[in-house]
Amino acid sequence: MSSVLRGIWDNTYGLLVDDGQLAIGAIASLAITWFVAQSGTDQLRENAGWLLLALVVALVIANLYRAGRNARRRVS
Amino acid sequence: MDLVNLAIAATPAFIASAVEFVEATTIVLAVGITRGWRAPLVGSALAALTLAVIVATLGVALVTVVPEHLLLGLVGTLLLLFGLRWLRKAVLRFAGIVALHDEDEIYRREVADLRAQGLKKTEFDWVGTIVAYKAVLLEGIEVAFIVIAFGAKGVAAMNAAIVGAIAAGVIVTALAAALRQPLTAVPENWMKFGVGAMLSAFGVFWFGEGIGAEWPGDAASIPIILAAFLAASWLAARMLRGLLPEGARVEARNV
Repeated sequence: MSSVLRGIWDNTYGLLVDDGQLAIGAIASLAITWFVAQSGTDQLRENAGWLLLALVVALVIANLYRAGRNARRRVS
Repeated sequence: MDLVNLAIAATPAFIASAVEFVEATTIVLAVGITRGWRAPLVGSALAALTLAVIVATLGVALVTVVPEHLLLGLVGTLLLLFGLRWLRKAVLRFAGIVALHDEDEIYRREVADLRAQGLKKTEFDWVGTIVAYKAVLLEGIEVAFIVIAFGAKGVAAMNAAIVGAIAAGVIVTALAAALRQPLTAVPENWMKFGVGAMLSAFGVFWFGEGIGAEWPGDAASIPIILAAFLAASWLAARMLRGLLPEGARVEARNV
């Protein structure tokens, strides 16, 4: 039974986190967006969604670039 | 909700759940073909029961108890984490940096493992039951997560997500039962790529709504957000091919 529970935990954690840096980056993007929406003007709050989108898209590209560079280092 | 709108609302959950059902079916098939069908069917039924309890308790509690803004923020966060994980892996697989998910190879390995464990004809096959239970439960948790995530917006969305997931389960199971072999023809990586982008787009949209952001045209913004993720993934895939034109293939063989 404990192996099933461990499997459930591993799977649930694995559902959300595959690459730690990507997960931390995503949470940081969400926190920045939330902070901007809460502390800025109404106009900033209304447009905070686009800020989040820009941050996450930049994060995806940066993370994949890093993964590619790491892979190239291992190959060469 | 009429049938057409229900079908549209259920599609994201259908596609996302189908990928998970394909993976669970591979293991259940391996158990059934090597050790007989009674044990994997019992294991699958028990896992389905466990999942129904999880969805009923968590899903209903989330939709009815948690305040809407908090719920959208929470679900948006989970969807974004979940979606980005799939999107990243799919792009790395397209670039050859991570090996493609091979249902045939997984099936062969599982069959060999199960045959090695042997089977006494007189006893109930607990090994087969547990292997099937574990596979269906673990993949099913992902399905439950998908249903809760897509259905978090309200009762109608939850119903559509449940319909989508059930339809995916029925179709995948029926196909596997008819073919009696793993569903290797399913373009899993393309599906995971599409679903990853879709979940990420929903995540951004709902988190934005949760913190009080205004989206022009409300849900009509989702295709624009989705397009941004698809464009970023395309750019990243091209970039990776530039970085590792031949090396990516070498790296894939080493995984």
